[in-house]
Amino acid sequence: MKTTVKFQPRRRAILGAAITAAGLALSGCGASATPAGGGGNVELNFVFWGDANRAKMTEAALRIFEEKNPGITVKTEYQDSGPYADKLATRFAGGNPPDVLNMANRSLLEYAQRGTLADLKSMPELNLDEVPESVLSRGTVDGKLYGLATGVTTIGIVVNKTITDQAGVAIPDDKTWSWEDYAKFATEVTQKTGGKVYGAGYDVATETGPIMLARQRGEDFYTEDNKLGVSEETIRDWFQYSVDLRKAGGYPPAGFFEQIGGSPAQSYLAKGTVASQIIPINNFKGYNDAVEGEVVLLRIPGETSAERRGYSADPSMLWSIAAKSKHPKEAAKLLNFLVNDSDGAAETLTQRGVPINPEVAQSITPKLSTDDKTFVDMMAAIQEDDLPPAYVYPKGASVVADTLKQLATEVEFGRISPADAAKTFLEKSNAAITK
Amino acid sequence: MSVLTKQAPGAAATLAAPGDAKPRRGPSRRTNQPSGYLFLLPWFVGMLFTIIPFFASLYLAFTDYNLFTEPNFVGLANFQAMFEDPRLLQSLKVTFIYTFVSVPISLAAALLIALVLNRGLQGLSIYRSVYYLPSLLGGSVAIVMLWRYIFGNDGIVNGFLGFFGIQGPAWVTDPEFALSTLIVLNVWTFGSPMVIFLAGLRQVPAMYYEAASIDGASKWRQFRSITLPLISPIIFFNLIMQLIGSFQTFTQGYVMSGGTGGPADSTLFYNLYLYQKGFTEFEMGYASAMAWLLLMIIAIFTAINFIASKFWVFYDN
Amino acid sequence: MALLELPAKRKQKKEAAPEDALTGTPRSRFSRHLVLCLVGLVMLYPLLWLISSSFKPSNDIFRQLGLWPENWDFSNYEQGWTALNQPFHVYLINSLIVVVFSIVGNIFSCALAAYAFARMEFTGRKLFFALMLGTLMLPGHVLLVPQYIIFSQLGWLDTYLPLIVPNFMATNAFFIFLMVQFMKALPKELDDAAQIDGCGPFRTFLRVIMPLCVPAMATTAIFTFISTWNEFFGPLLYIQNQDLYTVPLALRAFMDSEGQSMWGPMFAMSVVSIAPIIGFFIAGQKYLINGIATTGLK
Repeated sequence: MKTTVKFQPRRRAILGAAITAAGLALSGCGASATPAGGGGNVELNFVFWGDANRAKMTEAALRIFEEKNPGITVKTEYQDSGPYADKLATRFAGGNPPDVLNMANRSLLEYAQRGTLADLKSMPELNLDEVPESVLSRGTVDGKLYGLATGVTTIGIVVNKTITDQAGVAIPDDKTWSWEDYAKFATEVTQKTGGKVYGAGYDVATETGPIMLARQRGEDFYTEDNKLGVSEETIRDWFQYSVDLRKAGGYPPAGFFEQIGGSPAQSYLAKGTVASQIIPINNFKGYNDAVEGEVVLLRIPGETSAERRGYSADPSMLWSIAAKSKHPKEAAKLLNFLVNDSDGAAETLTQRGVPINPEVAQSITPKLSTDDKTFVDMMAAIQEDDLPPAYVYPKGASVVADTLKQLATEVEFGRISPADAAKTFLEKSNAAITK
Repeated sequence: MSVLTKQAPGAAATLAAPGDAKPRRGPSRRTNQPSGYLFLLPWFVGMLFTIIPFFASLYLAFTDYNLFTEPNFVGLANFQAMFEDPRLLQSLKVTFIYTFVSVPISLAAALLIALVLNRGLQGLSIYRSVYYLPSLLGGSVAIVMLWRYIFGNDGIVNGFLGFFGIQGPAWVTDPEFALSTLIVLNVWTFGSPMVIFLAGLRQVPAMYYEAASIDGASKWRQFRSITLPLISPIIFFNLIMQLIGSFQTFTQGYVMSGGTGGPADSTLFYNLYLYQKGFTEFEMGYASAMAWLLLMIIAIFTAINFIASKFWVFYDN
Repeated sequence: MALLELPAKRKQKKEAAPEDALTGTPRSRFSRHLVLCLVGLVMLYPLLWLISSSFKPSNDIFRQLGLWPENWDFSNYEQGWTALNQPFHVYLINSLIVVVFSIVGNIFSCALAAYAFARMEFTGRKLFFALMLGTLMLPGHVLLVPQYIIFSQLGWLDTYLPLIVPNFMATNAFFIFLMVQFMKALPKELDDAAQIDGCGPFRTFLRVIMPLCVPAMATTAIFTFISTWNEFFGPLLYIQNQDLYTVPLALRAFMDSEGQSMWGPMFAMSVVSIAPIIGFFIAGQKYLINGIATTGLK
């Protein structure tokens, strides 16, 4: 990175003194971490976000990679997504990026447009023949491939069937239901449980909801040229829907949700205070484990009643290779392994979504738990239909997400009308994206 | 301690006059002592880690630095942009309210409890440990969960209020209440200033109190005439540090809102917004400019306090 | 000052009152105990909740909020200890290494600097002091990248050096300022007397001032222990090798905010990791209260 050079010249001299002084005080204290690399051995630095469970599965896959590729060792590091993003940015800024890394959808463009990522299409070691175009398009910026989906997923509605059965409310057919059907269902659940359980409990503030609604209405929330394409009307209706549902009783009162979108164990579905929730469907297993009772996975409403299909196969996250990686060949080999190797995928399964190589996805199906199979089957069923294309998130997508969150709260507490909120949302989002 | 025991009895009389310092100046005070630089030697070397980044950020404040590409000089553009940034104004508002409400409360609480826990009861060491606990736990990830559950809708606070038939608000999620909740939480962790006060109280020679009680001075008078002046440097220290720390509040807002400053920007602390700008939006140039604005604000308040301290803080020199 | 009016019949021979010398009537003591206990419960609650949660199955932690676990689950500790790359005691030892060096470094270097600022006179003292305070006032986030670059240029990444060495270089202005305030509160006559005794500034510092600043140093040690033990961002940025992780990094490895977190093991290991801080505070607090009042400035 050029900035590192900037600080350099005068520093050397002072540094010399500092190192000597420090060395005297502390010799032998900071054990050096890097093991002496054996002859010709390449060490790749591979970073991802997640917890110890995911890390264990990933490590198991990497050991297979190392066996198949003698001479390459992979050193991993992982954090929860928040700290992961901070450290990644600092490492890139400090000129010390990892070789292979996890990239979030909303950060891809920020990194790619500043030349920090390698074009994956230019790497012969990486075979992309089996990867569908709809997946590649989610990591393509200006004709270059900067991010490759680790797997795909989408959103769905989970319903606690034990509660609805007890309440005697039938779950509508999710292949054909409309948003009105969902509202009616939710309101009925609240009524029949005597207000103890709210029928609907989705997060108004997560952008996946309005993205879906926009697509159903023939709009692209984010367009092909990385702009905001959603109309003011759609955003207003999205806000209005929950306001109306709350009034009808199907949706909890303002201030009810304190930590929605957190882990399944903390969810209101698990607590039993709501009967349904919108989730990323790869988390279905987690919810079924956390909830006492039977949980079923449904499609988002409005898929057949609206103008067009809202669903798309979304990258749960992306893989990227740093432009400054010292070992681009080996990095590409690793990426190739992650995408195309069934043995590796047998260890990681659907940890990062359904594998993007259909053959690999097929090969792991027998090994999946019932719940994960439910998720994979639904993903496959959704993709059978002709889905409208979706694109890379624009620069400023994180501001868009924050703005939505902020306005959703204002609407929730009645401090602003849905119409005004929609207007402000478009203004602020456009300003952030075109900046 | 040979030096001390040799001291003439008369010395104690001057000890007793912390405020009455002007006529007596030690000879060493006036002369220049170059060995002072020797004492500061580690500090000078340490400037490498503090002062270089310090001035690097000053330079970056005048650039469009985005973390990934070389910074370009943009003059005062960042500072101008700040004046038109509504979220920046909101973050200043949040930070000022938080600072001016929570600093006096937590300092008063810390001093009061330090006085109670100083002496005169059995089992004080147990009390001191227990009262310091919330500050010890502050950094733990798990505890963050707890705060949310204490102030949650079905949490303890609302349960307690419900006992009296009061329907408590949504402490964490309602924009009207979220900041107050954080202020209450902050008072809970008065442990650090309390510990410093305790240490300071122990610097007050006990004989002053003995002498004072022999003279029949009341407790309140002893507090006002002995305790307060003698620990005034410590009060001053706590005040300054609480001010600086409070202006720089980050963690509370970050963990309670998951980094957004929500609900509806009601807990958008200045430093939280700065962090968002620098690390989520990658506008590090702007963030650096924000940092220097905050530095100036804090410096002004600190300077005011240093000037004011001449009237109420007593050093023995 | 009111104190000046105190007559000279003050007795000087007396040892300071021991800390548990009781004051007030039994009744006033009882009411003080009562209030302290009640407030103490509020203070104790977080710890109790933490311990109780560590014995609950992960899914119960947020569903069942009572302090007494309905279903006891002791496996959290075993699971947490072994779930990561290394057994958990490795991270405890790593943290301990960083903490011990940081405490020694902070006490040593900050006391030196504080002595110069508080009790010596030399050109530039005020400027340096202002500069030192200035570094406290700048939000740390904008320093991260420049600091990272410096440590990376020094080749210190992935070692504990970035976490330890600055502490030996008096980079922690908080503690310098703290000690300055304590040292300024000490009677000026001490230096003069020491000088008459033939002590140079170093001996005065070591033999006279340092012993009288035990509470300030205890405070520094306790605060350094807590902040270093809990520090997340520094280790996060500078350590890459998982085997070198400190406790807060290890604890975060149980978390995945987008998926299923291992709450039970995380709470169990949180309890384990809090124990050393509490132990250190309990051990350290007796030095905290060993000021002039008890060392007997007669």
